[in-house]
Amino acid sequence: MNYKKIDGQDIAFLISVCGKERVFTGGEIHESYSRDELVNEHLYPEVVAEVLHTEEISQIMKYAYENNIPVTPRGQGTGLAGGAVAIHGGIMVSTVRMNKILELDEENLTLTVEPGVLLLDIVKFVQKNDLFYPPDPGEKSATIGGNISTNAGGMRAVKYGVTRDYIRGIEVVLPDGQIMTMGGKTVKNSSGYGLKDIIIGSEGTLAIVTKAILKLLPLPKKSLSLLVPFPDLAQAIETVPKIIKSKSIPTAIEFLEREIILASEEFLGKQFPDKSANAYLLLTFDGNSKEELEEAYEKVAHICLEAGAIDALISNTQERQDAIWSARGAFLEAIKASTTELDECDVVVPRDRVADFVKFNDELQQKIGIKIKGFGHAGDGNLHVYVLRDQLEEKEWQDKLARAMDAMYAKAKEFGGDVSGEHGIGSAKKPYLEATKGREYMELLKRIKLAFDPKNLLNPGKVC
Amino acid sequence: MNIIVCIKQVPGTSEVEVDQETGVLKREGIDSKMNPYDLYAIETAIKMKEEKGAKISVVSMGPPQAAEIIREAYMMGADEGALISDRVFGGADVLATSYTISQGVQKFGLYDLIICGKQTTDGDTAQVGPELAEFLGIPHITNVKKIVEVKEHSIIVDMDMPHAVQTVEVNYPCLITVEKDINQPRLPSFKRKLATKNQAIPMYSFKDFTDQNENNYGINGSPTRVIRIFSPEANNDREMWKDTPDVLVDRLTNKLKELKYV
Amino acid sequence: MAKIVIDQDKITEPEAILELCPFGALEWDNQYLSINAACKMCKLCVKKGPAGVFTFIEDEVVTVDKSQWQGIVVYVDHMEGNIHPVTLELIGKAKELAAKVSYPVYCLFMGHNITGKAQELLQYGIDEVFVYDDEELKDFRIEPYAAVFEEFITKVKPSIVLVGGTTVGRSLAPRMAARFRTGLTADCTVLDVDENTDLAQIRPAFGGNIMAHIVTPNTRPQFATVRYKVFSLAEKTNSPTGKVTFCTISKEKLVSQIRVLQVKPKEKVKSIEDAEVIVVAGGGIKSAKDMEMLQVLADKLGGMVATTRPLIEAGFADARLQIGLSGRTVKPKLIITCGVSGAVQFVAGMDSADNIIAINTDENAPIFNVAHYGIIGDLYKIVPDLIERLAQGNE
Repeated sequence: MNYKKIDGQDIAFLISVCGKERVFTGGEIHESYSRDELVNEHLYPEVVAEVLHTEEISQIMKYAYENNIPVTPRGQGTGLAGGAVAIHGGIMVSTVRMNKILELDEENLTLTVEPGVLLLDIVKFVQKNDLFYPPDPGEKSATIGGNISTNAGGMRAVKYGVTRDYIRGIEVVLPDGQIMTMGGKTVKNSSGYGLKDIIIGSEGTLAIVTKAILKLLPLPKKSLSLLVPFPDLAQAIETVPKIIKSKSIPTAIEFLEREIILASEEFLGKQFPDKSANAYLLLTFDGNSKEELEEAYEKVAHICLEAGAIDALISNTQERQDAIWSARGAFLEAIKASTTELDECDVVVPRDRVADFVKFNDELQQKIGIKIKGFGHAGDGNLHVYVLRDQLEEKEWQDKLARAMDAMYAKAKEFGGDVSGEHGIGSAKKPYLEATKGREYMELLKRIKLAFDPKNLLNPGKVC
Repeated sequence: MNIIVCIKQVPGTSEVEVDQETGVLKREGIDSKMNPYDLYAIETAIKMKEEKGAKISVVSMGPPQAAEIIREAYMMGADEGALISDRVFGGADVLATSYTISQGVQKFGLYDLIICGKQTTDGDTAQVGPELAEFLGIPHITNVKKIVEVKEHSIIVDMDMPHAVQTVEVNYPCLITVEKDINQPRLPSFKRKLATKNQAIPMYSFKDFTDQNENNYGINGSPTRVIRIFSPEANNDREMWKDTPDVLVDRLTNKLKELKYV
Repeated sequence: MAKIVIDQDKITEPEAILELCPFGALEWDNQYLSINAACKMCKLCVKKGPAGVFTFIEDEVVTVDKSQWQGIVVYVDHMEGNIHPVTLELIGKAKELAAKVSYPVYCLFMGHNITGKAQELLQYGIDEVFVYDDEELKDFRIEPYAAVFEEFITKVKPSIVLVGGTTVGRSLAPRMAARFRTGLTADCTVLDVDENTDLAQIRPAFGGNIMAHIVTPNTRPQFATVRYKVFSLAEKTNSPTGKVTFCTISKEKLVSQIRVLQVKPKEKVKSIEDAEVIVVAGGGIKSAKDMEMLQVLADKLGGMVATTRPLIEAGFADARLQIGLSGRTVKPKLIITCGVSGAVQFVAGMDSADNIIAINTDENAPIFNVAHYGIIGDLYKIVPDLIERLAQGNE
């Protein structure tokens, strides 16, 4: 690809749009703009512009389009697949300063926000108004723009679905600089192609999201978790389909093993309330009354006991929830701290195949001779599996890692699963997407990309 | 051995507000829960029971709905419990509360050890334990951070002091208050919930007590009066200092002095 | 006798009346309105309820003769004769209060081999130091200490008793308050004295979310505990005029069920969540070696060093020292951030600290949005000088 290199004139243009203090070049570019949370390699954009308005993005895109300069949009950079890394240099458009909550519409139950608003600020704001934005990805310091770009999921997906289910409308800037709105505050919409939904999850390759209208729900008044110890992981995971079948819907169903609990205890320096068992299911429930909650969790607790659970432990206060969920929230960091380097596989499989997939990983670990640790959303089939380098030499690491990843993605495909549940494809998972989906599918993606971005300037090298 | 654990029901959140007009706490819609510090006390008792064998009784003073936390203590592993509840006890301060509990504790018969949480999250006074021990005429040890040994006639514990740890042996009967982090309290068990579903929670009221003088209870037995409650002024200072390093170090040193760190 | 009486005949809308009580203490069984044990005697029903339904009745209380109780006593908190500085802070406050109502200021000093130290207290302008020196009082044990305290109060009849909010103070003061059936207010942050010699006590509750103003109007003495570093140290006087009085107590009163087996110095706080003071190293720190400089500062302030996530990733520190969303949440009294830019990730883990001091060269750094005192400057110039200044101060 023959992109234009940034020169003094380009920088002068960016400064004319954004002002000097929001344009960074060379050594001024903060190290964090060269990577995301998982990618170790540092790849710097040639220039970073921290934009404030849609209009600024529009002007920058128009200029980039005319001058053939690649543009990488970016939020907080908390992704795990390299989606927000400028692998072809060019301009990075950072939306972190577009962090205003624009409107709470209590009559339509919507919240209009700029893309740089953090998920944690949205959660705090709506809660204060007795409202609820259900998507709950683990990384609360991500921006909503980033969440929209990857169609972020999170733990509550079992009951509430994912980011795409809560985006009513978006305003975007297209690669040629045009500003366009898709969707709106309406509940229904069948007006032509669902462009909004194709932009969501497109990882900034089709358009830059500059505004979003989120759908809100009334805030459930109460919530509670069950920590269910099992003799072994297979038994724990095999219970999940039975819970789903019973039609009592927990908001989240996670699985965890003792080993990772111990790692997070070590990492946080905090004791977990129970570690007597080898494996656990962690379920949460929400509702509006104590009675409603009690009925729901008791039914599930009975199912677990019948399926061989040792007990069902009830977490019903803030302290108890903190003791459990702070550990759950630290799993990734704890695994990171326990090894030298790691890579992640974020596959999703049908819920009734989770147990088989976990068993497969166990065997794979033995077969290849590399450590594989995992935890994940048993309730929605999305697993986070980490391959750990530990003390391996570079060549052996690359070799074993590739074998493990290939095997896991192939297995996921065999089970009717997909490459990414919630982290996206970015640049890191592209080969696996192609291997899983096949050439024709990739061709169709590329044609869609071309329709939006004929010059391939917006976040090039990602997804397809 | 017989262990009594004192527990209290407190508001489910510490983010309470004061009604500016009436000066009363706004409690509407706030759930109640067991005082978090008491969970450590219960866990301490259960660990002793697991190690040496013991009968654990829990006692709480509060409105009838406080029976919930007794039931929760059953779900954690307590063997029996009782609730001290009567309108006569309303408006009690620390002294009247401690006195009332001391009357209630006597209903349990002989005991070896009383365990209390270090403090509550609503009152924060950390006084009920020592005052209760005084009314019962037994020795007490506060701020226990470790149970060293449980013996037949005494217990050895580590008491947390500002600059030292004092290891003491104290004869039964006695009272200890335990620090948070002495252990990680277990979660209530669903299996125990099923098993203790029909276990009774006796209720003791004024008429059950030996001391029948109403002036020793509730607001009448309380020497302190709360004149007013109000919201604290938050530290909203936002100062930016821009100067030469010398001046900045000067100002910083003075600020640290003012904050009493130098 | 104090109680709230309900006139059942005046009740017209019982459902509305139930709403009056924030504690849910009102019960209606379709015929009869009653008050249950949840009542806190806040009297809101009396103030806001329909006229005549609720009446608060309080009989005349027999008040103590307050003139029989005079003076303010400070309990001397010490360990083997080393006086805890909270004692000197309380002496400062006691003198201020005593001046308003013309009271003498006393110290109560009990322990073993402490006689020499008693004299030193006089230089703070104490009128009389009462010393109980006995080998049974060598280590703190509740019964002998309480016995001495009781003997002293009975003899001297102080109006106000101030005790440091240390482990010993918080153990001893409630025991004494119960013995004298009087009030004790814990962890006061403001103390004043009214003309009628009632101690005006203000203290936080609910983890500091609420402040309460409390008095002990009908009993004496009035007990209060105060934590370390709330009040200022007492000033020394040039011409001490007070005296030391040695007292004795009979041995049989010093019997105890407690045996002190060992007193060992405490290990330092290990986890940053428990630290009262935290010095944070941020991206402005150039090398792992420079962490030592911050450690020196932390030691001077009696605190711990912590870091941001990038420094953990760079291998400058142990992951357990990381503050932030993916690390630990801290709420220290004082946090000094050095070269920390203030990413959301980090700020969410520390923004409820009582005092935030931020040092950063970039005046646009987001850390300054949460800092109480934002210092725009180079940490490599400021921190070494500050350490030096603090070292001088200690000499």
